[in-house]
Amino acid sequence: MDEGFEGHQQELRRGTIVLACLRLLRTAGYGYGLLQELERRGFTVDANTLYPLLRRLEKQGFLTSEWNTDETRPRKFYRTSPAGVRLAEMLTREWLALSDAIASLTDDSPTTPTDEER
Amino acid sequence: MTTTLTQRYIAATVKSLSPAAQVDVRAELEASIADAIEGRVEQGEKREDAERTVLTELGDPTVLAAGYADRPLHLIGPRYYVTWWRLVKLLLMIVPVCVVGGVALGQTLSGAPIGTIIGQSIAAGLSSIVHVCFWVTLVFAVLERTGADMGLQWDVDQLPEPQPTGVGRADLIAQLVLLGLAAGAVLWDQFRGFVRTDGESLPLLSPELWPYLIALIGLEAVFVIVLYVRGRWSTALAVVNTALAVLFMSVVLTLLVRGQLFNPEFVEVFRAVSGVGQDTLRTLAVLLGFSVAGVSVWDIIDGWLKKHRDGR
Repeated sequence: MDEGFEGHQQELRRGTIVLACLRLLRTAGYGYGLLQELERRGFTVDANTLYPLLRRLEKQGFLTSEWNTDETRPRKFYRTSPAGVRLAEMLTREWLALSDAIASLTDDSPTTPTDEER
Repeated sequence: MTTTLTQRYIAATVKSLSPAAQVDVRAELEASIADAIEGRVEQGEKREDAERTVLTELGDPTVLAAGYADRPLHLIGPRYYVTWWRLVKLLLMIVPVCVVGGVALGQTLSGAPIGTIIGQSIAAGLSSIVHVCFWVTLVFAVLERTGADMGLQWDVDQLPEPQPTGVGRADLIAQLVLLGLAAGAVLWDQFRGFVRTDGESLPLLSPELWPYLIALIGLEAVFVIVLYVRGRWSTALAVVNTALAVLFMSVVLTLLVRGQLFNPEFVEVFRAVSGVGQDTLRTLAVLLGFSVAGVSVWDIIDGWLKKHRDGR
């Protein structure tokens, strides 16, 4: 792939990880499990990006966490807080609006810009 | 028990975190790394290889720690960079010049040999450059990390104004009047005398100098008129301006050093009347010399700056 392509692609993907985490963590999950789940659903993210991100979202109050020591290996489970749910709703709306806007760009492909939509 | 790679990795990551975060991050990272290794082992990888791969993918522990602690990975970020750069440029234009001038003046007044004067001035100038860069950068690096807001915001009023380069009619007249006054002063000094002793006029400047000084002033007047006719500064004009300034400076400084600038008779009278010693006279001469050099050097720089501005 072109070098230029990759930069733009990463830029576009950056914000989507937050949204994906907030929505996936409505059922509690832990770091490595979430990483696998994201991968499985087609979100590419590095472990060294995800782990600090989870802590940051927790600090901002969008995630809550608790330690689960029932299993042999104690794990820190994160869950989306009410504030996190509201954030996820807002981001989803934004995402859909953007998606519509981009779809409208590809649907009518005029050679010259028109103002018919206004 | 030997420390494993994982333990070393985790130790390297948490050591720069706050004590409260350390325990939590350590436990979480231990679990995450163990999970990841296990995942790879289950797919048939050897445990040591899996550990290496997992830790390599996590990358430099310092970078990871910066992520955990929300620390910037740059010295000065986009929020402060422009302000930092403007301040450094401004200070570098002012401070080293003042330091070099000050040290050179001080050394000259204390009668240091020319080699010492030059050496000390250059050393002081260089160290002032290093200091300006270092301290300003340090302050901004701290600002970047404490996140203090300086309340500096750009608005359109800060746009640089077009600077006049002094080639208009008013500038021409003003400069010609000044040059005329200077020529008048030289002639008056020579033939009427500012100083009179026993009813006899006593020129300040050495008597044989005046034709040369008038010639210099004439050249300068010609230059000012040519500049006005051309309407703008050019490389050629900047070169001529530099040559004139260097000529003026070297003539005055040479005469000053040889003690031929002022009329010896006047110097005698001046000493007798004011009662100052040789030392004071020397100090006055050095100060005069530095002023002449400073004005000339500024005139040269000014010419080139104006050429640069008109060239756009």
